Amino acid sequence: MCEWEPGISTQFPSTPGNQTEAAPSNLVLCLLKQGQSPVERRLTPHTPAASPSVPGQEDIQAAMPVEELDPSHYPATRAAKVAEHFINTRYGSPFAWFGSSGVKKAGLEFTLKEMTRNDMGLCSAEVLFHRADERKPPQVQCTCSGAFQVNTSAEEEDLYQRLRNATSLLSGSDIPNSVGHIDPEMAPFWHLGGVASSFIMLRESNESTLLNMAHIDNFTQMETKDAQLMFQYDILLHDMVSQEILKWKLLLSWSPDGGVKVLEAEWDPKCHKILFLHLFIIFLIYPNKTIY
Amino acid sequence: MKWCHVRDVLDFNRHRGFFIDGAGDGVKFSMFSSAGRALLLLLLLLLDCAADRSTERNYEYTKYHPMPEISAWMQQMVEENPGLVSSEVYGTTYERRDIMFLKIGVDQDGVQKKAIWMDCGIHAREWIAPAFCQWFVKEMLLRYKTDKKVGEMLNNLDFYVTPVLNVDGYMYTWINESTRLWRKSRSSPPESCSCPGVDLNRNFYANWGMIGVSRNCCDNTYCGAKALSEPEARAVTEFVGNRSGEILCYLTIHSAGQLLLMPYGHPQIWAPNYDELMRVGQAAVRAMGSVHGMEYRVGTSPDLLYPNSGSSRDWARLIGIPFSYTFELRDKGQFGHKLPEDQIQPACEEAFEGARVIITYVHDKAFHNRTDIGAAGMAAALWTSMLASCLTTMLLV
Repeated sequence: MCEWEPGISTQFPSTPGNQTEAAPSNLVLCLLKQGQSPVERRLTPHTPAASPSVPGQEDIQAAMPVEELDPSHYPATRAAKVAEHFINTRYGSPFAWFGSSGVKKAGLEFTLKEMTRNDMGLCSAEVLFHRADERKPPQVQCTCSGAFQVNTSAEEEDLYQRLRNATSLLSGSDIPNSVGHIDPEMAPFWHLGGVASSFIMLRESNESTLLNMAHIDNFTQMETKDAQLMFQYDILLHDMVSQEILKWKLLLSWSPDGGVKVLEAEWDPKCHKILFLHLFIIFLIYPNKTIY
Repeated sequence: MKWCHVRDVLDFNRHRGFFIDGAGDGVKFSMFSSAGRALLLLLLLLLDCAADRSTERNYEYTKYHPMPEISAWMQQMVEENPGLVSSEVYGTTYERRDIMFLKIGVDQDGVQKKAIWMDCGIHAREWIAPAFCQWFVKEMLLRYKTDKKVGEMLNNLDFYVTPVLNVDGYMYTWINESTRLWRKSRSSPPESCSCPGVDLNRNFYANWGMIGVSRNCCDNTYCGAKALSEPEARAVTEFVGNRSGEILCYLTIHSAGQLLLMPYGHPQIWAPNYDELMRVGQAAVRAMGSVHGMEYRVGTSPDLLYPNSGSSRDWARLIGIPFSYTFELRDKGQFGHKLPEDQIQPACEEAFEGARVIITYVHDKAFHNRTDIGAAGMAAALWTSMLASCLTTMLLV
């Protein structure tokens, strides 16, 4: 029997972006009651779960709405999208960019597609949305098999060396172009932009969003003194739920050893607003490339 | 207008194995004299001119086209298919452009037939939708002679197909990369607000303004100052509304998300024929998935996507059109609305199968009182679609 505890406990990690720690089990939101088949859910106000209570948990039980979801309905789709962004922050690179491609079970199991090679895998995830404070990013635990198996270190090293040894800094724009075309040389930077966007999209996701990267306006390679390559990206995100296009500026670093990191991110609101909202987010995440 | 260029004839015949040297060094068939050669060439020319070189074969359906090219294509479809294709301007956009449909169906001496409505491009940035409307017309015309069912449907029904409903918005998205992702119409904002455009699919008179909309004119789901504030929405409302008795099915084509949405957009309002809509919708998404293995889901918008109000699909159902669906075509976020041109064909092939299941059901229910969607029907659909795909590829390549 799964439990859900509303609100945030003090056990929640305090440093933003430190998502390597597994969430304590009593904070896990179950998207499906254990042992039950998915039941079609109509949008009705939450009702308390009518199920036998676990000994010692009666006081939490009464406040607990456990939602039963149909795998084809939007909550599972949105949760899978969040898990997709989480996976990109962990495993993404210019040669590994992941997309969720269909929910199999609302519990949550979904097909994962590695979009540079169209490899498929299957993921099982738990996604926690913090309803009490929507500004807190969702928390994800995930296990996947299949699409991760391919070793991309040769291509990564090759790209890395080419850029390190190049005499000029690289840049690009309008990716994909209006008819969806991407030059083959630009493709790794499209994937890189997508992976970096996932850091932002993971951070910005809640139960009422479904975020994708829509467009790279431009990207520019920046000078660096250390081993990391650095890029400035101007990207457009698309939120399917509000249908809005969101403009973000990212500063990111990448190397085959260091993985993708977003160093700075700034949201550019629509022109008619006078004030700018600046968000400087420092991510120091070292992607763990082993499969777990 | 038939495109009968001599060069085409020569090329065509070269591929068939006739070798005619344009420089005049002689035909490979040594037994013919030069006069005989000229006669042979003339004969081939006449035979080829008699062959069908029509626009439905030669237009580039696997590319995106700007509005002037789509308008020219519509004109050619009418000219080349008398008695089968006609067109009509049924409204004017905010920027005073024509809104036009193609009416596909065998002309039965002007008798008003039952009909099926399809509109594409209500949202400007969803380019695969107008591409699909053009594809749909092409497929129906190609199959008119070869597919018995399509022939029967074109005899009994008229298909009103609007390739681009939001003409102003669509043209705006073609200006440059910064306009490519425009969604709404291009009408001027109300006095209190500063951004142009209204979400046409929130502007219809169907629970207008209730849910899933914004009242801020700068937002992409802005429903307008009032229902039917937009001339594009009014055009559909007037034409379809005046014929709601004859129109059996309303299909509106969008991207993206790979969904088939049923009425209604409000989470607490259910269509009286929900079960039937679901049953037909499930058959449609199964057919769509069987073409290229892409997953499509069927259900109401509040279940699958989000609640909304003022949609054309909802309005069509509310006025009594029994079958009303929104198609959300490819993809699921990798390219979003900028679906690459090399996906136009597969996306259209699967969408066509889905549409075909629905229109076949609607037709058979009306004309044969038949409401089963059997496995035999599915298999037939699959075989025909594979055959047609092969033929289409052969002819277009």
